[in-house]
Amino acid sequence: MVKTDLLAMLVPAFPLVGAIVIASLRGKLKGNTAGILATAMVVLSFLCSGVLFVGHEVVNALHAAGMHQESPPEGAMHVVKLFNWISVGSMHIPFAFQIDALSLTMMLIVTGVGSLIHLYSIGYMHDDKRVNTFFSLLNLFSFAMLMLVMGGNFLVTFIGWEGVGLCSYLLIGFWYTVPAYNYAARKAFVMNRIGDLGFLIALVMIMQQFGTLDYGTVMDKSAGISTGSPWITTVTLLLFVGAIGKSAQLPLFTWLPDAMAGPTPVSALIHAATMVTAGIFLLVRSSSLFVLAPITMDVVLTVGLVTALITATIGVFQNDIKKVLAYSTVSQLGLMFVALGLGAFSSAMFHVTTHAFFKALLFLGAGSVIHALGGEQDIRKMGGLKGVTKITYFTFLMGTLAIAGIPGFSGFFSKDAILMAAYEKHPLLYAATLGVSLLTVFYMFRLLFLTFFGTYRGKAHPHESPRVMTVPLIILAVLSVVGGVLNLPHLLGGHETMKHYLGTAADGIAGEHMHLAPATEWMLMGITVGSIALVIWLAYNRFAKKTTLDPEAEELSFFKRLIARKWYIDELYAALFEKPYGWLSAQLDAIMEKRVIDGAVNFTGNTTLRLGKVLRRVQTGNMSFYLFAMVVGIIGFLLLTIWSA
Amino acid sequence: MMLMTLAIILLPLLAGLVLMVARPHVQARSIALLTSLLCLGLAIAMYAGYDRNSGMLIAYAHDWVPAWGMRIVFGFDGISLLMVLLTAIVFPFIVGAGWKQQLSNPSLVNALILFTQSSLFGVFLAQNAFLFYVFYELALVPVFFLLIYWGGERRRAITLKFFIYTVLGGLTLLFGLVYSYLQLPEPRSADISALQAVTIAPDVQRWLFWVLFIAFAIKMPMFPFHSWQPDTYTMAPLQGTMILGGVMLKMGLYGVVRFVLPIVPDGVAHWRDVVIALSLVGCLYAGWIAFRQRDLKRLVAWSSLSHVGLMCAALFVGNTAGITGSLYQTLAHAIIVVALLYLVGGLKERIGTTELAAMGGLKVKAPRLAALFLLVMLGSIALPLTQGFVGEWLMFNGLLEVSPWWTFLGVISIVLGAIYMLYAYQRSMLGEDRWKMEIADADGIDHWVLVPLIAATFIIGVYPQPVLDLLDAPVQQLLTLINTAH
Amino acid sequence: MNDIVTVIRSVPLEHYVFLSFTLFSIGLAGALFRRNTIIILMCLELMFNSVNLLLAAFSAHHGDPGGQVFVFFIMLVAAAEVTVGLAILVMMKRNVDSIDINQLNRLKW
Repeated sequence: MVKTDLLAMLVPAFPLVGAIVIASLRGKLKGNTAGILATAMVVLSFLCSGVLFVGHEVVNALHAAGMHQESPPEGAMHVVKLFNWISVGSMHIPFAFQIDALSLTMMLIVTGVGSLIHLYSIGYMHDDKRVNTFFSLLNLFSFAMLMLVMGGNFLVTFIGWEGVGLCSYLLIGFWYTVPAYNYAARKAFVMNRIGDLGFLIALVMIMQQFGTLDYGTVMDKSAGISTGSPWITTVTLLLFVGAIGKSAQLPLFTWLPDAMAGPTPVSALIHAATMVTAGIFLLVRSSSLFVLAPITMDVVLTVGLVTALITATIGVFQNDIKKVLAYSTVSQLGLMFVALGLGAFSSAMFHVTTHAFFKALLFLGAGSVIHALGGEQDIRKMGGLKGVTKITYFTFLMGTLAIAGIPGFSGFFSKDAILMAAYEKHPLLYAATLGVSLLTVFYMFRLLFLTFFGTYRGKAHPHESPRVMTVPLIILAVLSVVGGVLNLPHLLGGHETMKHYLGTAADGIAGEHMHLAPATEWMLMGITVGSIALVIWLAYNRFAKKTTLDPEAEELSFFKRLIARKWYIDELYAALFEKPYGWLSAQLDAIMEKRVIDGAVNFTGNTTLRLGKVLRRVQTGNMSFYLFAMVVGIIGFLLLTIWSA
Repeated sequence: MMLMTLAIILLPLLAGLVLMVARPHVQARSIALLTSLLCLGLAIAMYAGYDRNSGMLIAYAHDWVPAWGMRIVFGFDGISLLMVLLTAIVFPFIVGAGWKQQLSNPSLVNALILFTQSSLFGVFLAQNAFLFYVFYELALVPVFFLLIYWGGERRRAITLKFFIYTVLGGLTLLFGLVYSYLQLPEPRSADISALQAVTIAPDVQRWLFWVLFIAFAIKMPMFPFHSWQPDTYTMAPLQGTMILGGVMLKMGLYGVVRFVLPIVPDGVAHWRDVVIALSLVGCLYAGWIAFRQRDLKRLVAWSSLSHVGLMCAALFVGNTAGITGSLYQTLAHAIIVVALLYLVGGLKERIGTTELAAMGGLKVKAPRLAALFLLVMLGSIALPLTQGFVGEWLMFNGLLEVSPWWTFLGVISIVLGAIYMLYAYQRSMLGEDRWKMEIADADGIDHWVLVPLIAATFIIGVYPQPVLDLLDAPVQQLLTLINTAH
Repeated sequence: MNDIVTVIRSVPLEHYVFLSFTLFSIGLAGALFRRNTIIILMCLELMFNSVNLLLAAFSAHHGDPGGQVFVFFIMLVAAAEVTVGLAILVMMKRNVDSIDINQLNRLKW
């Protein structure tokens, strides 16, 4: 166990040390040193996670001889306590890590995908002047993300939660001389903080109710809470507010597309593969609370579905290669929340995993394209790249096929699990989620065809990226293709390995049950695959041989323009919140502060002055008058004395 | 222990007198720095030598005016010690900021700073109500001269306003103390411990509460008694603002803990919701207004106001988490305010103004300065693993015990904080390089001042237990005092 | 000593009261209505002396020497006061070349 403790500490320690060392030596490190160092740190971290995983797996298998059992086996949850962080009165919050199936899965994703992206960044950021700062921040992000997933209690998770928000802010605004980027960064941070507000209140409430924030104890004690009580509904809703902020769901999703201002590897790591899935992680982590709050589950479902639909429609009309992927990310996250709302926690986590593979791949591929075209991001000015950038094209194709859910690719399995769960709840829900996936297929193939097919419409001289960038692409492509085996459904001869594995860590997953007849499942799969094929054919006809540019948003019909302009949500928020906020701030200062409060104070002062002005008239300077007044006064007092006696 | 307690008060006083008489203009700053560092050493020695379970430690007692219960008593418990530590930690940096702020007549400036430090130590160590009062008012005198001689625009009017405000508060405080003292049975003693045991009729407590509280409410300042604060902070010379924002406002919070809560517990219970509501309204109000400030120094003033609102609210919740959090936060706030103000001063020195509109793009030429600004900002918005987070977490917990709505209001402030601080950071540091002239990056002195402060923020944020342990026993004692009085 | 006391006692107390009341009134009226500062000072002296007279008379009639002690006190204070008053007067004469009391209103801020 000592070895486990040490390894668990090393996992976040490596990137932290990397971040600090690179940051303090950023003036001295030359060339690729920082990049190699940063990558090495994350790789080491990955190796430690791997060793932990293997060790844990063994323990797990020893205890759980069979796959099906009710309670998680002994040793499935190992808490590494470092020291007492906050200990006041009866409140004891240790600085602790929790090593279990859930955190291990996330650790492997974060460090695994993270190392590939670090490696890729060495090539991508090669020419940037502040490459050392970049890698320091990237390492810091890895540290924060690991804190988030490894936290042994809610508050340690919250450290990571805010930490990743900070890193996201710093990396979105990495090119800080551009005001628009800074604005995007600030927007991301503030929207995240609004989510954090909910999270923090939920934490305080949990603390108050259970007297602890340790996941294990909260899980045990939540059994005593009655289903659907106002308390549990409030707490879970507040936790969900936190998830909304971090995972960019309605109404706080607008920061994520803007976050594409950051360098592309950042978009891949933070805004696709890891940070934005923190919301899903949180809900799975506290699934023992969520299963007790049916109202919240419905809210989660609704928010997820609406977000997925809205952003999928927006994705169709985007012309910036990264923006398309960003809206796709929001939409996919929406799907994951749909799964959570349906109680299919394991499907959500499965989709988190496969999404991490193929979305990271797509973003890195997009980065490779941008790199190839010298910074061009507009897909209308691309085309015909498949001949020039062969590896990028091929890997990008794999990613697209995976996200589209072509049978055999990882996305197929994870998305199919969500669709099945939706059908079990209601066929209409199935239709809606299927609609989202079809929209996904449409805009992804639009992107693919416009970028790699047809003829080149731009002016730059495309070239393939260096090997340091293509190797991660290839690895991710392989993962995107075979990732499905992690949780192969029974129907296709699998054992739902991931579900059972995660079931040892999260109550919600252990309690999941699916009851669909094999025939229904086959039918649904058939419908899904058929419609996907149809949509791909449509997209091919429309975009693959395109030579002309798409029209600007202004020339579209009203409805299309509405979508292309992102439903005017940004404008709406600006008019509803941003402007009134600043205006009220100025008004409060000018009216409340200057007039009312300062006015009252100055009024007191001025009244004193005015009174003084009146009274000073008495001081005429005439001695005789003074004497007279004195005598009158003395006589007055004399009379008063006599009178009162 | 006795020697150290007296020495920490007398040392800055004597050094200040030497500076004032000898007027060694060139070495003045060094002497002041040395003195304040010695005080820091003494404070740390006091901390090291103090057993946190030993309660109130009386280090020195001498008769003063026995007929009126006045004694010269110096001593400390965990709360006093925390305040002494806070003062001792912050003052070397305040003196250090003098290397960048070239004020005329450095001997006098540093002498005044040392006098303030001495009287602040007096305030926090005095264990007799009237002795406390003497130091409480005495601390105002050197600050008054700092403001009136070295202040900026409209310094006379603003200083006068500040002075009238505080003196008014001071007088009501004196009245309240004398009144409470007279309620004691014979033979009377005005020692704080004796005064805390006084029993006063509940209906009297209702008005006596405001008489006692108003002085501290002005000093903090609590909404709506704050209108002196933004002007004064903006106008004051940098070191003056540091003293006011870093340490002097803690006198208000300390006073509430020492006098208001134990002497008039029924009054506190009666007015609790009003005070918490006012404080939280002030917290949000100030946080909101801070967003649109044009002047960075003024923005810092408003942000300080916002933080203090939360601290004041948490003091009145009457439970361990709230009071501990609030007191813990005094330290965090002191460090952050001094660091922020130092940065403001640094900007003023480089580009000659603190107007936000005139800044922007400084990161291009001064990346290290921007990085330091960023780190200080993280402390200010209370990111986890900085000190501020621990305090805020405890305060939110304390507020929830009273009402979830109070917690909700309090937590909103973290969003407001993020909005105005990030905006200020963006407007001052980020953006395109618009400076034709050379702008010096952070130099040795900047590092000497800011790095220790930032390091302290993070170290105590990761491992706050030494400070929290210090507060454990006295807060329990305070709560027992309050609860037995009911 | 006894003789003087007897002599003083031979006059009824009312007469002393009337006399000193008259003297005091004259002094007061002079101090209030005259403008010449010297006269005013003299009137002040007159008031002092009327009070002194009364004190002495009461002292004799009641057989209490305390009153006479007070008389000496008052004479002492009066002497000091006149010294200061005359000094002011001299300065006034030098500066404004007048001893009209109303000239002093210039001292007002």
